[in-house]
Amino acid sequence: MLLAVIRREGVDVPALCEHEAIEPCGSCRLCMVEITKKEWDGWKNHVTSCLYPVEDGLIVSTHTDQVMEIRKTILDLYMARCPGSEVIQKMAEEYGIYKTSYITVPDADNCIMCYACTRICEVLGKSAIAAVERGHRKVIAPPFGDVPPDCIGCLSCAHICPTDVIKWNDEDGTRTIWKKNFELITCKECGKNIISREFADYIIEKREVPAEYFETCDDCKRAEVARKMGSLVTRAKEVSL
Amino acid sequence: MRIESIDQLNQWREKCRTEFEAQKRRILICLGTACRANGAIEVYEEFKKVLAEKNINDVSVEAVTKTGCHGYCALGPLVILEPEGTFYTKVKKINIPEIVEKTIENGEIIQRLLYKDANTKKRVADYNEIPFYARQQRIALRNAGNIDPNQIEHYIAVGGYQGMAKALTQMKPQEVIDEVSKSGLRGRGGGGFPTGRKWATCAKVESDIHYVICNGDEGDPGAFMDRTLMGSDPHSVLEGMIICAHAVGSIKGYIYVREEYPLAVINLKKAIEDAREFGLLGDNILGSDLCFDIQVNRGGGAFVCGESSALMKSVAGEIGEPRAKYIHSVVQGLYNKPTVLNNVESFATVPMIIEKGADWFTSFGTPKSPGTKVFSLAGKIMNSGLVEVPMGITLREIIFDIGGGIPNKRKFKAVQTGGPSGGCLPAEKLDLPCDFDSLTAAGSMMGSGGMVIMDDRTCMVEIARYFLGFLVMESCGKCVPCREGLYQLYQLCTKICEGKGTEEDLELMEKLSKTIEIGSLCGLGKSGPNPFVSTLLYFRDEYLAHIRDKKCPGGVCRNLITFTINDDCTGCLACIKACPTEAITGEKKKKHILDQELCTQCGSCYAVCKFDAIDIT
Amino acid sequence: MMFRFEVNPSLCTGCRTCELACAFTHTKNQKPGRSRIYPIGYAKDEYVPVTCLQCDEAACIKSCMFDALRRNEETGAIELNLERCVKCEACVAACPFGCALIDNVHEEIVKCDLCGGSPACAQFCPTKALEYKKIA
Ligand SMILES: Cc1cc2nc3c(=O)[nH]c(=O)nc-3n(C[C@H](O)[C@H](O)[C@H](O)COP(=O)(O)O)c2cc1C
Ligand code: FES
Repeated sequence: MLLAVIRREGVDVPALCEHEAIEPCGSCRLCMVEITKKEWDGWKNHVTSCLYPVEDGLIVSTHTDQVMEIRKTILDLYMARCPGSEVIQKMAEEYGIYKTSYITVPDADNCIMCYACTRICEVLGKSAIAAVERGHRKVIAPPFGDVPPDCIGCLSCAHICPTDVIKWNDEDGTRTIWKKNFELITCKECGKNIISREFADYIIEKREVPAEYFETCDDCKRAEVARKMGSLVTRAKEVSL
Repeated sequence: MRIESIDQLNQWREKCRTEFEAQKRRILICLGTACRANGAIEVYEEFKKVLAEKNINDVSVEAVTKTGCHGYCALGPLVILEPEGTFYTKVKKINIPEIVEKTIENGEIIQRLLYKDANTKKRVADYNEIPFYARQQRIALRNAGNIDPNQIEHYIAVGGYQGMAKALTQMKPQEVIDEVSKSGLRGRGGGGFPTGRKWATCAKVESDIHYVICNGDEGDPGAFMDRTLMGSDPHSVLEGMIICAHAVGSIKGYIYVREEYPLAVINLKKAIEDAREFGLLGDNILGSDLCFDIQVNRGGGAFVCGESSALMKSVAGEIGEPRAKYIHSVVQGLYNKPTVLNNVESFATVPMIIEKGADWFTSFGTPKSPGTKVFSLAGKIMNSGLVEVPMGITLREIIFDIGGGIPNKRKFKAVQTGGPSGGCLPAEKLDLPCDFDSLTAAGSMMGSGGMVIMDDRTCMVEIARYFLGFLVMESCGKCVPCREGLYQLYQLCTKICEGKGTEEDLELMEKLSKTIEIGSLCGLGKSGPNPFVSTLLYFRDEYLAHIRDKKCPGGVCRNLITFTINDDCTGCLACIKACPTEAITGEKKKKHILDQELCTQCGSCYAVCKFDAIDIT
Repeated sequence: MMFRFEVNPSLCTGCRTCELACAFTHTKNQKPGRSRIYPIGYAKDEYVPVTCLQCDEAACIKSCMFDALRRNEETGAIELNLERCVKCEACVAACPFGCALIDNVHEEIVKCDLCGGSPACAQFCPTKALEYKKIA
């Protein structure tokens, strides 16, 4: 897509809803650019570069007055929607916006409704959460607002969220996210938390990775490697002596 | 029985026609949604019962025909007696014996049941002389109200499937496309995209399968042309789709019908079943190579599902959200296969173009918008209902000559065309011709043909607020300019209606509108600010009155109006009884007094006063 | 041209130069990253430098649901595409040798990428316990 080419050329175009691991969806509209087609008599249009297929001979303007105006307005709108988000604030400041011109949305949280979480969950093959309702009431939620039956507690949604709104908690060998509790696998050597049992089971089943790989933490596994190789070295030395 | 060739079709048609015409006396009873709600089914049953009992010569029970909507829904249930064309309105069950005895047996017209012209106060007996119908030119609605939608024989008798037969047996796909292109038919669903060009592009895409979809989502509040077409003449839609399938080489079609249209679904399904039985759908239609079948899908119940890419997602069973259409759906549409999507009215028009030729079609309308268009009239207008008129007719002709003007002797203020995201045009624009380009140039749009007429007691800021509110609710919520931007526009409009707006707010709104228009993902957002932009263009002074003078010239915005009682008050006590806050006091036959402190500007007194004694300022 | 990364634990003195070399090679925003290699003691003064073995049937690649780990056919290294990485830590949990790591400095998942074909650890190893050799 066009955005990748723009970035490859070292031009900075902002984007919030875009991530390599998910299909572009064009929700944040910050990556909007102006395109001109020479062969169509200089026909111009504004497009989201994350979704626009690359074409030969296309003229792309990334920082025209109109484009900047759109980005500013969008960030201004975000400031009204997510007054508490540092990511948004920082981005907005770069465009000279320190305070929203609009009416702060009541009961605002930091969700910018970019669908990154639902899209990553879909890539994972679970689609445990989805956008429900329409328009301004739209929220990301598990089915029926209940505990999501398909969630495996992998935290991908929380990690990919650009504004860090999806909260989770690991405590006493239990992970909680979307109000669902998961057993955490703890290292059989040192007791450190590894990943949720359901996530591990999912990988084991889907990708045929041996289950015992998930029993110890990375530190203990490295120590084990050192011990095993060490004993080989020791034996080799003994043999040569 | 399967019809395997054009000769068989013609034989069958002769038979249907003979039977159809054998019924000299036909009693057409409208069973459209509105008439049904007013008791048309009872009327229908009663007619059959009374006729069966009476056993009149030449008038069998079969003469009673249930038809689809006639368009004049305000006057339902409607009964039309053919061959004279006697038009009875608001018919009740108890009127039937009288109608049968007087009119059917003795040819006597019952004056009381006739249509009364509100302007001339004259009763009109003949259907075709009623101004509402006289000015119309019916192409898409050619059979609506004239045939029983559930009887394929009726459709055949009036010449149905003739266009299809011609296309399949005498025309190559490219010739069909050329004819449609030549007719200049533009999509009736809103965009006005040339249908021929759409078909041509789709046909050129190499693919194992092409789809044809009919858009019957019709989400515009107050619009019901597609409902009427699907319910009253479903075969015309099927025929159009079959012709399209032949043109683009499709084997599978879908009709996406709005959830709220159960009658349309029933009639379409019945039509599809019948068409299959007679071999007009299915394998080797009319002995040709064309194999095509149609399935009905029920809508997801959202306005935005009418948008092409959202609709295709919904048909595929996904959430109905639009996607960016940098690759057009004629290339990658349903299941990423080339897909033709057209509106119900577009498809219903196609058979006539094929049958009678492009030149016939272009003899109606304007050079750039040929043909006719169905409009639905709603709001402050005498004759609300459906009308089909040639393109290029002026707004004045539609609203005043056909629509009968504004009721209660009020003044026309504006007409909103093009559905919720259309625009409002003022009285100065009444002589504007109704065609795609003129409406767009004037800052509104054709949309799917909805018209809401407003009188001088309408506040344009409030209207903008109302439509913005609708769009805020119906936006899919995917992209920011539309979801957040329209919400903010709505909030700012509310602020102005409450008398708290400033001129800076207006400036901000103008800037924001621009971003929403350019920045939104789909057509809903791109046209979303229209209600605001068009009202500001033509009614800026009204906005300024709200902001500077804290006045609502339309007398609507509660915070900005005061109710007073003038000297016309006769002291009838009606307003005193109506006032919920007991703000009005007074005695019989003496001018009443309104306490401004207690008044909540609810308007109840204004609504009940028969003497125009309540002033709103 | 083919290369092989050779580890000879008996030569390792546990000087941890490789760790420093690795961390500094992966410096971002003037902060050295977490090393992908660790000399780990298994007996008194006896060390094994543990690092990714770039397994043929790599558990990390298999466990990544987002296709962020791919083998670089030129160097043979399994490289992590940070743009695609979601930090779900599946690879960290799955690697049987504990060589996919969490870098708390840059808040990233890291693993050895053989420095794109010239591993810094081998370059700086004073005792040649680590060597990057041409084999064909
Ligand atoms: C928000 C939105 C709603 C729409 N709703 C409808 C609708 O209800 N019916 C319809 O036929 N077209 C609707 N359209 C237009 C369709 O996207 C599409 O252009 C049309 O169905 C194409 O058919 P046509 O070329 O025959 O007009 C809508 C468009 C948008 C952006
Ligand atoms: S990255 Fe393109 S719209 Fe968000």
